Order: sequence, then structure tokens, then C-alpha cells
Amino acid sequence: MRARTSGARIAGVASCVPPRVVDNTEFERRFGDGAAEVTKMTGVKLRHYAEPGVATSDLCEKAGVHLLEKLGWDRDSVDGIIFVSQSPDLLLPATACIVQARMGLRTGIIAYDVSLGCSGYPYGLWQAMMMVQTGAVRRLLLMVGDISTRCIDANDRSTAMLFGDAGTVTAIEASDDPSDTAFFVLGSDGRGAANLMIPRSRQRNPDAVGKLEGRDLDALYMDGGEIFNFTLKSVPPLIRETMEWAGESVESYDSFLLHQANTFMINHIAKKAKLPKDRVPINMDRFGNTSSATIPLLMTTDVSDQLKAGRCKLGMFGFGVGYSWAAASIDVGPLTVADHLIL
Amino acid sequence: MSEFYQGLAEILEVEESEVRSDMELGESWDSLAVVSTIALIDDVHDVTVHPNALVDCKTVGDIEKLIEEERAGASKG
Repeated sequence: MRARTSGARIAGVASCVPPRVVDNTEFERRFGDGAAEVTKMTGVKLRHYAEPGVATSDLCEKAGVHLLEKLGWDRDSVDGIIFVSQSPDLLLPATACIVQARMGLRTGIIAYDVSLGCSGYPYGLWQAMMMVQTGAVRRLLLMVGDISTRCIDANDRSTAMLFGDAGTVTAIEASDDPSDTAFFVLGSDGRGAANLMIPRSRQRNPDAVGKLEGRDLDALYMDGGEIFNFTLKSVPPLIRETMEWAGESVESYDSFLLHQANTFMINHIAKKAKLPKDRVPINMDRFGNTSSATIPLLMTTDVSDQLKAGRCKLGMFGFGVGYSWAAASIDVGPLTVADHLIL
Repeated sequence: MSEFYQGLAEILEVEESEVRSDMELGESWDSLAVVSTIALIDDVHDVTVHPNALVDCKTVGDIEKLIEEERAGASKG
């Protein structure tokens, strides 16, 4: 599905990770030679783990408070929160409501959660910009983050070494600038739902048979081959379609921000889509796969200086769990805030 | 097939000269090798083979057969 929004811009972005850094030493002890093989493929050397008691909203709140302060936005000027995560603080109420009160934002603003992972950032950006375009809000906080490390099976090398935790907040506001037009391509294919999931919930309790045999059903299950296959088939066409929809070519983009799923996969997609390597930043060596947060986390780390220095044309591509995918072609900057924080 | 054999040798961590159609994939044929091989086949032949079919391959020849089937299917449709 294609969509276009106008009249909204990204005003700033901030990210926050928990202080505990986990390197590969423990994994090398646990998985032996297998650990090095996984590292060679995923490229993850370090990741941040949330300590017990820390929830996704804590990371987003710290980023949000910093963002409002640095932008000079009065708390009363924020009209909405969209919280995108697959690890909300609680099953209910919506984490967006919890954060609204905790950050002292105005009573009565729009606040709700969206349950998406890898594709969550471009999806959330589309929702946020659409909401501004309708006139419902002028300023909005898009909170996107996950604490994935609590739902992984420590003995499953395919997921145990891959994920890290992060929370991000992007400030969106109304704009009169005609260049603040953004192009989106969004989609889903639920036939792939069973290839990346937490199999059990209070509503569903499947038998541990077939691919789930012998597994902890409360832990993340990932069929790496299937996910790779899906990515290979769907992402290069997604990149092409997004550029075509925006009327742009590869040369016009300053950076292509690809969901940090797996370094081998990112490199392969970039090569297949003929993207110049120096414009495809990779930070998952330091952060792992932070699920919904990977794209804004790139904006506050590897691309931060670029976004602070001037206007950049960004291609954003999120893809994975669902299956779900979303892409954006958007002009961003110069930003006063594109900051990375430690909780 | 030389580019494919070269890539496969790297994935299976053997000398390129050892890679032949009747070579057994053996214990190194794990999920990571499968994913790497999907990428290799995509690079060399521009077709995407299904991971489950690839997992079931026992020899290099099985993989080659799979690629041929996929290429025939791709050209038909």
C-alpha cells in the first residue's frame, strides 16, 4: 500500500539504552565454536540488556524528557503519544497512557499503543504524520522501543546472541514547508506469522510439536531460514518501490536506514538493491537487533552528525515479524536534537 | 558452477577443490550454512530457494538439483 503525507516534520529524535553492556564472552562459553559462527553472520559484538525492573517505557521516558527539554517544547504543547512496541510494560492499560501521566503531559491528549516490531518505526511515522495532517494534533511524540532480551531462550543461539534493548522518541510537529512531504510503502503478510513469534500467551497455548518441539513456548521462536527468505524476496522490491513512489533514485539519498536484523542480511540486501555501502550504516555490532528501535537508533548514533549538520534525504526500511513491512522516503533535518542516552 | 563452488567451499569451510556434486554436506550443514547458501544461490543464480528444501539436501548435487528446479520454475513463471 502506498501513502503520502504532507504538513508534518521530524523535529528531533532521542534514544536511550540500559547501561549494562553484554559482550560475547558468556556466549562463547555457552555455545563454544558455534558462537563465533553466529557472530560472523549477525555481526553483533555488544548489546545492552535491561536490568530487572526496567521496562520499555523507562527507556522511552528518559529519551522523551531529554527531547522536550532540548527542543524547548512545553509539556502542555504535546497533543499525542503513539507507543510502538511488542514489549509493552503491561498487557493493559496501554503504555502510552502510563507514559502520558508519568511525563506530566496534558490530560486529554491522544495516546495509544501499536503492536509492531521490525516494521514499527516507518509504520509509526506514517501514523504520526497522518495524524498531524488531519489537524488532530500539532505536536506528537512517537515512542518506539523494545526490551526483547527477556523473552529469549538463553540456550537458543539463533536468538540469544542477536537482540539488545533500546527505547526511542521522535518528536513530530506540523510544518508549512512544502518539502515536508513523506512517502510511505506499507504492507503485511500474516502467512509468515508462525516464523517469528512468542508461541504462548494467556489466550493461546499450542502443543509443542513440529518446529516447536522441545522449545520454551514463552520464548521467542525464530525460523532464521524462513525470515531470510522472506527478506530476500520482499525487501529489494520494497526499496525499489519506495524510491519509485517518491520519484527518486539511489543517488538522491544521503542514507538508507535498514532495520538492523542481521549484518549478513543487511549487506546482502544492500548489494542486491545496488545501494552504495557507505550510505547503509550498520550499528548492530554495538547494539544488536533492537527490534522496533533499530531505525531511530541509527538516527541518534551513526547518522546523528549528518542529521544535525543539514537536510538529509532518508530511506527507511523496516521488515520482519508479522510478516510486516514499512518503508519511508523522507527529508529530515537539520535537527537540533539527535541524541543518544544511557539510562 | 565455479563461483557457486567457491562460495560453498567458504560456507562449508573446505578447500574449493574438495567441492564436488557427490560431496556429502555432513555436520557443517546447519541453519547458518543454509542461510548463507540461500544468499549465495541468490547472488550467483538470482533465484530464491526454499530453506526447508535446502535443509533436506544431503549432497552438493542435491543443492544443484534444487537450483535447477527453481530456475526452471522461475523461467516458466
